[in-house]
Amino acid sequence: MNRSPPDDGDPAPLSPADYERLCDFLRARTGLSFSEGKRYYVERRLTDRMKARGLSSPREYLDLLRFQASGEELQHFVNLLTVNETYFFRERYQLDCLVRSALDEVVRDRPKGERIRIWSAGCSTGEEPYSIAIALLEYWNKADDYEIELHASDIDSRVLARAREGIYEARSLQYLPPALVAKYFTPAGPGRWRIIDDLRASIDFSHVNLVDPDATRAIPLFDVIFCRNLLIYFDDIGRREASAMFYEALVPGGFVFLGHSESMSRMSSLFVPRKFPDAIIYQKPRETGGARP
Amino acid sequence: MPLIKSTPTPPPSPEPARPPRLDDDAPAARRRAAQALAGQPDAAPALCARLAHETDASVREAILTALVRIGTADAAAGLFPYLASEDAALRNAVIETVQQMPPDTVAPHVEAFLDDPDSDVRIFTVQLAARLAHASRMDWLARAVERDPHVNVCLAALEGLVETGRPDVLPILERLRDRFPDDPVVAFSVDAAHRRFQAGA
Repeated sequence: MNRSPPDDGDPAPLSPADYERLCDFLRARTGLSFSEGKRYYVERRLTDRMKARGLSSPREYLDLLRFQASGEELQHFVNLLTVNETYFFRERYQLDCLVRSALDEVVRDRPKGERIRIWSAGCSTGEEPYSIAIALLEYWNKADDYEIELHASDIDSRVLARAREGIYEARSLQYLPPALVAKYFTPAGPGRWRIIDDLRASIDFSHVNLVDPDATRAIPLFDVIFCRNLLIYFDDIGRREASAMFYEALVPGGFVFLGHSESMSRMSSLFVPRKFPDAIIYQKPRETGGARP
Repeated sequence: MPLIKSTPTPPPSPEPARPPRLDDDAPAARRRAAQALAGQPDAAPALCARLAHETDASVREAILTALVRIGTADAAAGLFPYLASEDAALRNAVIETVQQMPPDTVAPHVEAFLDDPDSDVRIFTVQLAARLAHASRMDWLARAVERDPHVNVCLAALEGLVETGRPDVLPILERLRDRFPDDPVVAFSVDAAHRRFQAGA
């Protein structure tokens, strides 16, 4: 039979006709629309996926997207294409899951006054950890009973600096109720808002490379880890190592929150999926093979 | 405000004088030992051998992750025999691990294990091959469909071919129908593949 040429070279470039065909397909299947101006953006991601799949022509890749029964590759490709700037209360249902279900389970056998540690891994410019903080303060009715440490990290020092600064454009705040904007932000110039000092001061921002064992060995054990829409940038081995690191960094019974289209079961068999009313999240078993020394 | 700053993190405890061992009594120490061996190709045989006795899932995962990171011919060679394991969790983890290794390193073992006398091992090899990003993938699957004497191996290869999403696999599937004309599962599977491609076209 005819088969693909060896995958030891770069995949063939994307012709104008192939780009048009790909865009038509994406529009029909997903509603995503890409103009000619987005060609480089799309082609870069297409090339990465063709290499990962060992395919040499865009036509072959389009066939895979069209006909693969599981749709797994289409999902993967779409994830890469839809990584947008983040915003406050993104994937709100996961924050609801945190304050309505997960934390209640975390503190079930824990006396009042004890410490709870939450980590926003890959926090980018800070919208996620600040959203977690606001959700805790506003919607978790036991927040005053515990001391809560909120850590946030990223590998990119520039976004960390912006997170510490805590200044955001109005569009980042569009899903926050106005009352919460008034309570937790102050105006910082036309169309810009800054997180109040108390909230900024309550989050530990730090520079962490998730797959550097030396960097992660120094961090404390956590009850909850948020790592949403970050691991899609990792290759298979990177995802394995990151999930192993989460396992090490969690207390027994601790939870991991991933992005809505990510699944821990594709990365590691060590976690148990837990279905709560608001979301599915992943739990380190309570009985485990030894805690981190 | 109940949110508090963390107390300063104490410096990481110094590494124990004795390096962690893969046969330590404590799973956490075995896990650390496996992680420490991740960049050491010479450790592949020891890591592969430990898998046969390792009962803790987190240590097993650390060993397999270390072997992906090593990614040498020794690492692949040490993993393929576990396709014959009775432990389904181990077998599946090995398949997933080998699929993440460099395809050219894995390819010679795929070739060899497609001829294994155990049809179950051949099924697992086909499943593995189906998700390997290697130029020979289609040939391996086509060869299984056209030559393997066991229908279940052929059906596993059929599934792999359909999953590639390439309509040009349909003539190969038809040859499977010719080989097993009285097998209703083959007929159903080939018809289903036709329907799937027609629906997606």
